[in-house]
Amino acid sequence: MDMVTAAKVFSDIGWGLFHYIIFYPPVYQFIIIPGLVAALAVVVFMIWFERKAAARVQMRYGPLEISPRTGGAPQLIADLIRYTVQELIIPSAADFFAFIVAPNAMLILSLLPMVAVPMTSISEYWPIPMGYSLLVAVALSTLAPIFTVVMAWASNNKFSVLGGVRESFIVVAYELIAVISLLSVVPLLHTFNLVDIVNYQMSGIWLGLLNPIALLDLFIAILMSTSGFPFEIPDSETELVAGPFTEYSGLIYGINMGGGYIRRWAFSVLMTLVFLGGWAPYRPGPGILLGYFVPSLIVVVKATIVMAIMSFLRAVYGRYRLDQALSLAWEVLIPLAFAAFGISVAEAFFGVHP
Amino acid sequence: MPAKPEIKKVPRATFLGRAIAGNIGALTLGVKYFFDPNRITLLYPHEYIKLKQGYRGYIVLIFDKCISCASCARICPAKAMKMVSVNVKDKKLNKVMKKKYPVINYNRCIFCGLCVDVCPTEALYHVPYHDLVYLNMNDMILNLEQFQEQPEFVTSKEGVPVTYVFDEKRGLVKVRADESVKQEGQIGQTSGGENK
Amino acid sequence: MSEGSASGVPHLPGMEVRPVERNVYEVQIGPSHPGSGHMRIIVELDGDVMVRVDPDIGFVHRTMEKLAEGRDWIKNIPLFERMAILDACNITLPYVEAVEKLLDIEPPERAKYLRALLCEINRIASHLYGIGIFAVFLGHSTIYMWAFGDREVFVQLAEDLTGARLTHSYPVFGGVRRDIPDDFPQNARKAVRYMRYRLDEYAKIYLNNPNIRKRLEDVGVISKTKAAELGIVGPNARASGIKYDVRLVEPYEAYPELDFEIPVFEEGDSLARAWQRVEEIKQSLNIIEQAVDWLEKHPREGFMHDKFWKTAPKLYKDVYEGNIPYAGKYRVKLMPLFATLKVPPGKAAARVEAGRGEIFYYVESDGKDVPYRVRVVTPSFRNVIAFKYVMPGHRLMDLPTIYGSFDYFPPEWDR
Repeated sequence: MDMVTAAKVFSDIGWGLFHYIIFYPPVYQFIIIPGLVAALAVVVFMIWFERKAAARVQMRYGPLEISPRTGGAPQLIADLIRYTVQELIIPSAADFFAFIVAPNAMLILSLLPMVAVPMTSISEYWPIPMGYSLLVAVALSTLAPIFTVVMAWASNNKFSVLGGVRESFIVVAYELIAVISLLSVVPLLHTFNLVDIVNYQMSGIWLGLLNPIALLDLFIAILMSTSGFPFEIPDSETELVAGPFTEYSGLIYGINMGGGYIRRWAFSVLMTLVFLGGWAPYRPGPGILLGYFVPSLIVVVKATIVMAIMSFLRAVYGRYRLDQALSLAWEVLIPLAFAAFGISVAEAFFGVHP
Repeated sequence: MPAKPEIKKVPRATFLGRAIAGNIGALTLGVKYFFDPNRITLLYPHEYIKLKQGYRGYIVLIFDKCISCASCARICPAKAMKMVSVNVKDKKLNKVMKKKYPVINYNRCIFCGLCVDVCPTEALYHVPYHDLVYLNMNDMILNLEQFQEQPEFVTSKEGVPVTYVFDEKRGLVKVRADESVKQEGQIGQTSGGENK
Repeated sequence: MSEGSASGVPHLPGMEVRPVERNVYEVQIGPSHPGSGHMRIIVELDGDVMVRVDPDIGFVHRTMEKLAEGRDWIKNIPLFERMAILDACNITLPYVEAVEKLLDIEPPERAKYLRALLCEINRIASHLYGIGIFAVFLGHSTIYMWAFGDREVFVQLAEDLTGARLTHSYPVFGGVRRDIPDDFPQNARKAVRYMRYRLDEYAKIYLNNPNIRKRLEDVGVISKTKAAELGIVGPNARASGIKYDVRLVEPYEAYPELDFEIPVFEEGDSLARAWQRVEEIKQSLNIIEQAVDWLEKHPREGFMHDKFWKTAPKLYKDVYEGNIPYAGKYRVKLMPLFATLKVPPGKAAARVEAGRGEIFYYVESDGKDVPYRVRVVTPSFRNVIAFKYVMPGHRLMDLPTIYGSFDYFPPEWDR
């Protein structure tokens, strides 16, 4: 008969907490990595990195005063606290329900594709059945942009409406590019299963090397969708004050600003898994830590590097005009996306395999 | 040899050259400055610029040299200088008489330096600092005793003095201005400095 | 001035009557807008295309011409400087020249070279300011920071020369107020070499950047006849093919002896205007080198007219030499009669090529110690009409492009 000691009770509770609550795949995916906690941590780091990287190129220091030894990192915490306690001003002419609900809906829907991506190749740590996970993730990522237009309309402000109209034009343009680029690996590998896609890249040749045009197209499409320079069009400060986000203040403004980055994070994780190898070249071992935690950390690091490159472009480029960005998308990038699809088919025909 | 006009052309580029070479050129320049930045920000008040002696800062009066001609008050563009009458013992005539001396109102002074330049006996001079703080606006109107003493430069007690030197590759470079370099009448070498 | 005015509507003289269109969306890019400066632009849009643009100016009016009538002659020099503080020497120089014509004196040669030196330093600083603001309208914040950081080099040179960073108040009637310090020539040469190297980098990251090129090319084209008809001056006119520069037509100060070119472009679009300013900076660098060479070689005399220096006591010469320890070196003392200068009656006019174009002063005196009338015509005053006639037909996102490429400075118009 086993002795019921305090240590055994605690270790049992700990094991239960670990296996059934923290590392339970749906909870882990949506809340911890690559969900809410990882997204917020990376977003905070990325905003700081963007300000520092732009400052290094631009002959100045960026955030420095708060703690000079760490390079001003707590500045972001101070900004977050400021947003949390700032007064929320809602104009009386705005549509109240849509004004409040739209940013929150946008945040939740931006993070939704993360339930469909796997973080490891061991089947007991998958959140959903993985048969068509690529298709599900791509489909879920198209839900969020409508709420920017809802925000712009609900603000009842001429500058917001102009920003919302621009956003709607751009959404129509970039979605096709992103979807075709992401799906261009399918003819080559005959599978929609993200785990198989990553397993195919374990041999060392990443799909980004086999199909660089699709990689470039997806990179530019992500920039277009999340207001990254040179496509920062709906949110252009010197022409439309802040575009759809003009009338927001306080915590909702913080959610808007962070929501753009979270959307970029979701796309970056997808891009990492499909084109940059996911958790390759590490083969997940048995057990929770080696099999679930470590591969997810590798994916986080790779996606952060992709986001850092996008943030760096702020220091080099200006803004495109709306019709120039649209003509670039429709006349140059969509034919390139079809060409990438064609390259994939040709590679499958000639038997080029990763 | 007067000027002559000359027609120039905007540099044209072919489509592919523009798309590829232009992007690569801009990106390489950005990456170069990312890894080798050239920062000129002054971290005030931890550092402060030690200005050279010709700088038009705050103004101080030397009482013994003033001959009460009131040229400074008359030339001041902002009406910041005013003459007040005080009782002084004139040394030559050996009796007490009323004479006029200038006082200054720093609410109005624009630091143009015309009063210092016009004084016929060089009774006014500039001190090379300008960042003083007052708690209320009445403190900025100085009386005769306050006008004769140099204002207290608080920043020098807390910050590190730096100067900017010219450099061919980097424009302006921030270097620490060592206190030990200060000798008599020197502090830098500009219009208003060296006394060789 | 009433386009398509409705007949039958009574209107008073000067009133502009136009029918209100129903299909138009009116946006007011107002005074507190990140991309508007100190003015309001009323834009009527049809979709994305601007149909009517109306600049609404006058927010910074400070009644400088009237204030000048109540102040002595020398007190107006710091007053007029505050009109466009970026190129302070260029703005006050025509006033000093006009009054010198009334006083019937001419500054000696070293003073002319010193004035030309400071004019060119200010011209470079003003052009860099224009380039920086233009870049930040387009979203390119890197050139904004680089232009202002490099402008710091030239502001530092001006501070070494005159003692103040921006409000120099340097030319006075008869000469200048200070001479160049001992280490100024080598600093100036270093600054010139640095700026030449930097202009290549600007071209690489900004002017040849395909993103910016696409934004600027063929936007806001002003043909040569249209520019002459609208009356545009300065680098904007020279970028449309008009070969007009005051230093060419009526040279003043030391410019007849300096050797430089005046760049003229013929395309007339925003890209040509941006290149025009870059080329003018290059020419100003040449002028600074020549002026510094001349000043270094020639002896230090002739910086102030004899009328105001010959009867100076020995103390003044001591201060200039630096013999008085607390008083600095190479400072030119002013005679006390400057405070109560009486200018003989008459009328005089003078013009100078400032950073943004030609600036013109008309001074009238009737023998007292305050001016009777001073009239200023600034370059921004002449350029702003182009907003009304050039912008319609372009898209809304071209408004910052055209605005920035014109380098319009509201305090200069509003005086």
